[in-house]
Amino acid sequence: MMAQEVLLDCLGEACPVPLVKTEKKLTTLAVGDILVVQIDHSCAMKNIPEWARKEGHNVEIEEVDDGEWEVIIEKVK
Amino acid sequence: MKKKVEQYDVVIIGGGAAGLTAGIYCGRARLKTLLIEKSLVGGLATYTNEIENYPGFPDGATGLELMNLFHKQAKKFDVRFKLTDVKSVRLEGETKIVETFRTIYETKAVIVAGGGKPRLTGAKGEEDYLYDKGISFCATCDAAANTGKTVMVVGSGDAAIEEGMFLTKFADKVIVSVLHDEGRMDCNEIAKSEALANPKMEFIWNTVVDEFTGEGRLEEVILRNLKTDALLPVKVDACFLFIGYIPNTEIFKDILNMNNSGYLITNEKMETNIEGVFAAGDVRDKFLKQVATAVGDGAIAGYGAEKYIAESETFHNQIMQDDMPGLVFVWNAVDPKCRDLMPIIEKYEAENQGKVRVIKVDIYKSAGIANRLGVFEAPCVAMIKDGKVFKIIKDRICEDEIIAAIE
Repeated sequence: MMAQEVLLDCLGEACPVPLVKTEKKLTTLAVGDILVVQIDHSCAMKNIPEWARKEGHNVEIEEVDDGEWEVIIEKVK
Repeated sequence: MKKKVEQYDVVIIGGGAAGLTAGIYCGRARLKTLLIEKSLVGGLATYTNEIENYPGFPDGATGLELMNLFHKQAKKFDVRFKLTDVKSVRLEGETKIVETFRTIYETKAVIVAGGGKPRLTGAKGEEDYLYDKGISFCATCDAAANTGKTVMVVGSGDAAIEEGMFLTKFADKVIVSVLHDEGRMDCNEIAKSEALANPKMEFIWNTVVDEFTGEGRLEEVILRNLKTDALLPVKVDACFLFIGYIPNTEIFKDILNMNNSGYLITNEKMETNIEGVFAAGDVRDKFLKQVATAVGDGAIAGYGAEKYIAESETFHNQIMQDDMPGLVFVWNAVDPKCRDLMPIIEKYEAENQGKVRVIKVDIYKSAGIANRLGVFEAPCVAMIKDGKVFKIIKDRICEDEIIAAIE
C-alpha cells in the first residue's frame, strides 16, 4: 500500500488540544504515512515537534502564512 | 525518497537571538542565507514572559514580541527560513553539507547558533512522562491546561520563579521544589520576594526529585530531602522543570571542539576549529548567556562568515587562476623586512605585465588567504601555475630566485 498523507485541521485551537489530536491521529496511521497538522497557535510549534521527535518521528514545519503553520510528521515506527 | 539538493552562501543552524542577528548581518551583506530552526523562531527567549534588560525597550517586552521583531528584520533582508531539525553535518572542506530530513543543503559557511535544550532531572520514571504526559518545560504552552489544578515547579532560578508565578494565574497551587536551604533561591531578589508573598505558591526546601510515578500520566512526584534523605510524595497534575539547559551539540561531537559540558569553543571572532564554521549564542562556551550577548555573537559570526566567503572568492577568482602564472607576495605591512622587499616585487610586476599575475596579500589585515596557500609567515612568495601552488619561497627572496622558479 502506498504511504498516504493525512491533513489534520487544528486551526483556532489552543494548547494542548493540537498535541492531543495529533497523538490520537498518528495512532491511526501506518509507518511511512505523513500527517500534516495545521496550526495557528505558536505554542503548538513547541510541544508538537518536541513530542513527535521524542517519539522518533521525522518533523518539518512550513510557515503557510503569517502566524499559520503546517507541522509535517512522517511516522517512522 | 531522494533528497533535494539546494545551494546557499550561509546556513545558520538555530533561530534564536544569535541566529536571527547573524541572519540580519548575512542577509544585509547580500549573501544567500538560510536559517534552519527546529520549532518556533525566536528560540529560548520566547519562553520568557518578560524581558526587561534588553536595551531599547524601556517598558520591557515579552520574549515572543521581541523575537518577532528580530524575525521580521531578518525577513526584510531576504533570509530564508526552514523550520525543521538538522540531522547531520559535514563541515570539512570548502563546500559544507547540512542535511535535514528532506533536503541536503550545500553551503560555503555555517553558523551554529543552536542554543540549548532543557536539562532533565535524571530521576526515575522521568522518560515516561515527558511533554504530553505531565512533565513540561513551557509554562506559556501548558499553563491554561492546568487551570484549577496543582502543579509542581522544579528549580529556583529566574525562569523557574517567573514561570511559576505565571502558572499561579491558572493553577490553584504551585509547589516549588528548591535545592537550597529555606529562603535561598537562585533567582533575582525582586522575583524572590514576589514569589514568597504569592499565596498560591508553596516551597519545599532542600529537595530534589527522586522519582516520577503515575498510571500512564504523571500523578505523583516523589521528592527527596537532601539533608535527611527522607522521601516526600507530592500529588500533582503536572510538573514543570526549570533546572537549566544543555547545549544542542550532539551532531557536532568529534567534529567541533567543545568543553566538557558540550558547549562549543570559539575564539573572539566566533570561529570554531573548522574554517568557515562559526558558533554564536548560548551554544558557545561563554560567560553570560543573554539576548544582549547573543546579539553580539550573532553580529560577529555573520560578519565573519561574510569576510570568509569574500576571501574564498578572492582566492579562487584572483589567485588560483590557470590562464597565466601567478606570484603571491605574502607580506606584513608592519614588518620592515617585508616592506624592504616590496620594491623588488613591484619592479618584477612592472616588467612582467601580462605574463605573470602579481598579487600582494597583507597578513596583517587577515591571515585567511595566506593560510589557504599553506603560508603561515611573512615575507614569503608563493608561485602559482596551472591553478596550483607549485613553489613557496621563504628564504632569500630576490629577483633571481623568482625568475628561476618561473622558468
